[in-house]
Amino acid sequence: MIKVENLTKKFETITAVENISFDINESEIFGFLGPNGAGKTTTIRMLSTLISQTSGKITIDNRSPESDGEYIRSIIGLLTESPGMYEKISAYDNLDYYSSFYSISNTIRKNNIKKYLKMFDLWDRKDDLAGTYSKGMKQKLALSRALIHEPKILFLDEPTAGLDPESAHMVRNFIESQKKEKTTVFLCTHNLEEASNLSDRVCIIKRKIIRIATLSELQSDDKNKRVEIVFTDDADRYIKLLEEIDEIKNIQSDKNKATLVIEKPEISNPIIIKKLVDSGAQVLYFNEIKATLEEIYLDLIKDEEAK
Amino acid sequence: MKNAAVVFKKEIKEVIKNKNIWMPILIITAIFSIAMPLVFILGSNSILKDEDTLNFINKIFGQVGDPLRVLIGFILKQLLIFLLILPAMVPSLIAPSSVIMEKENNTLEPLLATPLKTSELLLGKSLTALVPSFVISTINFIILTIVVDVAAYIKLGYAPLPTMEWVIVAFLLSPILSFIITMASVIVSSKSTDIRSAQGIGAVIIVPIYLVIGLQLAGFFLLNITYLLIGCLVLLAVCPLVLRLAVKIFDRENILTKWKMKA
Ligand SMILES: Nc1ncnc2c1ncn2[C@@H]1O[C@H](COP(=O)(O)OP(=O)(O)OP(=O)(O)O)[C@@H](O)[C@H]1O
Ligand SMILES: [Mg+2]
Repeated sequence: MIKVENLTKKFETITAVENISFDINESEIFGFLGPNGAGKTTTIRMLSTLISQTSGKITIDNRSPESDGEYIRSIIGLLTESPGMYEKISAYDNLDYYSSFYSISNTIRKNNIKKYLKMFDLWDRKDDLAGTYSKGMKQKLALSRALIHEPKILFLDEPTAGLDPESAHMVRNFIESQKKEKTTVFLCTHNLEEASNLSDRVCIIKRKIIRIATLSELQSDDKNKRVEIVFTDDADRYIKLLEEIDEIKNIQSDKNKATLVIEKPEISNPIIIKKLVDSGAQVLYFNEIKATLEEIYLDLIKDEEAK
Repeated sequence: MKNAAVVFKKEIKEVIKNKNIWMPILIITAIFSIAMPLVFILGSNSILKDEDTLNFINKIFGQVGDPLRVLIGFILKQLLIFLLILPAMVPSLIAPSSVIMEKENNTLEPLLATPLKTSELLLGKSLTALVPSFVISTINFIILTIVVDVAAYIKLGYAPLPTMEWVIVAFLLSPILSFIITMASVIVSSKSTDIRSAQGIGAVIIVPIYLVIGLQLAGFFLLNITYLLIGCLVLLAVCPLVLRLAVKIFDRENILTKWKMKA
């Protein structure tokens, strides 16, 4: 659905995005993550035909922004990073205005305005001036605006920023439900739990792409394979023993629990267990722990900075 | 075309509600179309008491006819040029705020992501400046004509306006000027965030106005139909240039990124 090849964007003095490539399938939720200034918003702006690339190629639904910008704009929905509304006109009129530029019938349009305003709990306040809305209400209104024309591709730049937990939850459920509608979702977020729950794949970017993978692929990276051993007594007593085993890295202990990173656990785990038992350790549990996306992300960013 | 009409309809509603636009217009109308003509025409007798003025009139017009009539004719030539203030000012009040406010409120980016063409947006926004400008200028023209005619009737017993010169300024020169100022405002406000500097564009009209008034007072020339038509032609030649520049600058990337964003 979205194909990006060697995309680069330079502003006068800085390179915001450098030589990035990826492919996003139809109805995929693509989590786009990266620190502040990583080039996420810049990428969204290029993909949504708002700004042009310095070099590289973008293909959206088999068309290119240069030759078919208008077509692309008609099939995408964009929630911008800091979405604004015309403050002096009503919430309803805002949606009515923005949606009137799509070629959809008036009946469908009005129905959808109603549908999304109701969905986001704004219907009762539809006639209030948008300027009187709270930050979260504006965010929900902006999300509605991105959805009225039922786009095939949704670009969401931090959709849950500023939302209360309940609204954020609802937005996440909504994003998840878009899978059924076959909508492709490009999701920029700083909320890594959200990204890990929603995304089919995540892309971690810091000007250049650091990694594109599914969560389970990331979790099965060797250095992300961790094990937790729970002893019947204080774990500190076994630290020395554990340290002697070459395959074990990065040991941490807390009360009767030791956490370790093990290279090639398929081979090492049986050996470690045997050594521990032989030395008389009372092992209660031996668990594999899945690294969270947050841990993986922080690690990848740290490695990148170290380069 | 339909899209441009949608833009126009929404924007014009906002213009009508915007006091910052109406106040200066009312003030200018009150000063230049009501107070000034009344003071000058009704006060023409006392102006004539001054020896210098009499000499001045004799010098440029020769010793013909009733000096009061000649003086009022001269005052009208000066008032004529004030007809250009509103056509220059109104678009420079409306156009920049309609672009810059959208940037400040972050409403432009989602708008540019819809299938709305930038040319349609430009057309809609330009009409939002041009239509009120034309309507207001015409109303102002009518007010000034009535005020002048009533005042002149009191003094001279006849109503001198409208003349061909006035019609040319009101319905030819003014719209052309409005168009140029609108395009210039769009160009500047696409590139800037500072609403004041963009609104200052209308103020450039002050320079030619002073120039014409000064030159007429100095006796160098008097506005007549030929000069006015030459002026129209010159400005008309500028129109395609500003239009082309505005269309070029009013593009998605330019409007979105060629300005310093606030943190
Ligand atoms: N219009 C612009 N002119 C110049 N530089 C820009 C412009 N827009 C973005 N940049 C620069 O490009 C880089 C990437 O910015 P971008 O907004 O894409 O980051 P981001 O990943 O969205 O960050 P955040 O998480 O803070 O939203 C930054 O260094 C930024 O300063
Ligand atoms: Mg961003």
